[in-house]
Amino acid sequence: MPKMEIEREGNKKLDKPERKEDKSVLGHEGQKNIMKVENLSKTYYQGKIPVHALRCACITVRKGELLAIMGPSGSGKSTLLALIGTLEKATDGKVILDGTDLTTVPEKLLPSVRREKIGFIFQHYNLIPTLSALENVELSMRFSRIPKKEREERATALLEELGLGDRLSHKPSELSGGEQQRVSIARALANKPAVILADEPTGEVDSKTRDSIIRVFKELSEKGQTILVVTHDPEVAKECSRLLRITDGVIKDD
Amino acid sequence: MFDLIIRNIMNRKIRSGLTVCGIALGIFAVIVMGAMSENFHQTFERSMSVTSDKIRVFAESGVFGGGLTDNKVSDVLRVAGVKDAYGILMTTFDEDKMGMTGKQILGIPPEKSSVALYPVELKAGRFLNPGDSYSVVVGSNIKREYKLQIGSKFEIHDKYFTVVGILDYTGSIFDNAVIIPLKTAQDLYKVDNSVSYIFAVPDERVDAEMLSKRIELSVKGTSTLSPGELEVQARQSFMIFSVITISSGLLAAIIGGLCVMNTMLMSVTERTREFGILKAIGAETRDILLLTLGEASCMGFFGGILGILIGTLAVYIMNAWLSNTRIVLFLITPRLLVIAMLFALLIGALSGLYPAYRASKMSPMEALKHA
Repeated sequence: MPKMEIEREGNKKLDKPERKEDKSVLGHEGQKNIMKVENLSKTYYQGKIPVHALRCACITVRKGELLAIMGPSGSGKSTLLALIGTLEKATDGKVILDGTDLTTVPEKLLPSVRREKIGFIFQHYNLIPTLSALENVELSMRFSRIPKKEREERATALLEELGLGDRLSHKPSELSGGEQQRVSIARALANKPAVILADEPTGEVDSKTRDSIIRVFKELSEKGQTILVVTHDPEVAKECSRLLRITDGVIKDD
Repeated sequence: MFDLIIRNIMNRKIRSGLTVCGIALGIFAVIVMGAMSENFHQTFERSMSVTSDKIRVFAESGVFGGGLTDNKVSDVLRVAGVKDAYGILMTTFDEDKMGMTGKQILGIPPEKSSVALYPVELKAGRFLNPGDSYSVVVGSNIKREYKLQIGSKFEIHDKYFTVVGILDYTGSIFDNAVIIPLKTAQDLYKVDNSVSYIFAVPDERVDAEMLSKRIELSVKGTSTLSPGELEVQARQSFMIFSVITISSGLLAAIIGGLCVMNTMLMSVTERTREFGILKAIGAETRDILLLTLGEASCMGFFGGILGILIGTLAVYIMNAWLSNTRIVLFLITPRLLVIAMLFALLIGALSGLYPAYRASKMSPMEALKHA
């Protein structure tokens, strides 16, 4: 089993979780550690009232791991993903991904981090409705200033690999839910990211499509792609190599 | 990126179309008003070039005050530094139309007609010669309107004149001029030996401004307008006219710009989630700015092209319609087209600045939560 730091706090200690010190440095513990989250916290303010969305989360993730994150609504799963994905700023703590502490990266450089190290998959697919499947996959490569020919070749190869070779020019509205999600997987993979962050990727698909998406994730994981999946679905979690549970902003179980 | 910009515009055809029409309407106004100003400017510049070397001497009471006679011409000629001087009687051709048509009768001493009209050239025939009495030289517009040729008879104030010369087109007041011998004009209009003003030509080495003052002091009952003063006065009038015409055009174009801003703000609000996605997958702030500003600028560009086309068409139609009255009101110049196009682009880009700024500053997480 990969190394992992787990907060095992009782309910009484929820307000002040213990800060864990993990001295291991990414890569030094073995080449397979790709990400390390240290004491990551996020506090929002509703007026003057602090809301602790995430408290001192510590996770170490190995390369190629398929990690499920489960928890009730509002438990902090999506916040954890948003913080790792640099979509939000952490109140405290560190996210070290592929040797870079993302919490210290200047705001101006975050887009390049998102392009090069992170791939997002969303519950609602979040494809651009006016673009074809191929163009949606190409999009993140455009921002990386990859030449058009190379973009098209890579996007086509990814879509073909995901069984969408005959759907390249279809707009999202012309694709089924499962197909749209596969386009969004292809988009996430386009820039060969260090980690894929999937937020409820099977939340809007039927069980058959869910199984096919999980199968894709497992295949990617076997090829060395690290994937973090936030899910409510125990069937999805069951298929993952590891499971984290979050309750009230605290990682509770592994 | 350009293909994405065009696609975003095309995806909202009606809204984008209406916005482009808004800009086009503004640029149409800029073209029409600007063409009017350009025509005025060209007429002014050409008229100035024809008379810029001469000092005008008026009666103290003004052009229409009377009191300036042929005798004063010899007084002016006696002033040191004056190379030549001659009186001109100027009156409107269509007295009943109060000069609205712009046609003017110019009574000029025949021997001075080529000098007085320099550098206007003849298209056909000759200038007036000494001894001419019922001979006439006409401007290009007069020739066209009355279908005149050399030798044609032309009726002025119930008298028939023979056309001896036709002036080349100048784009100045001389296109509408009917030039007859001074003495004949004085007899025709029963003004004895009165003249409207005297043209004094300075010696080459004499400062025209100084000479102008000297004439005013030496010849009693006169006031003068030096070439410099005339230019200042004319430029002031031109500026006021231009400001009025151009401002009304600009106002319309600014309203067009507000249309773009409104459209872009709506578009940015509607596409909040899309911008969140773009940011999540690695779009830089400049990419979002470029997309949004590009859309606004493109709408400005298309609006500019459309506005220029319909403006040019409208000017062409109006000029054709006014050609019967010999009034040329509009002139489209390359300068005007360039200014109108740049203005359309500027309006588009400026109107897109705030929406683009808003889009680029969105937090990706907040944008993704947007319904």
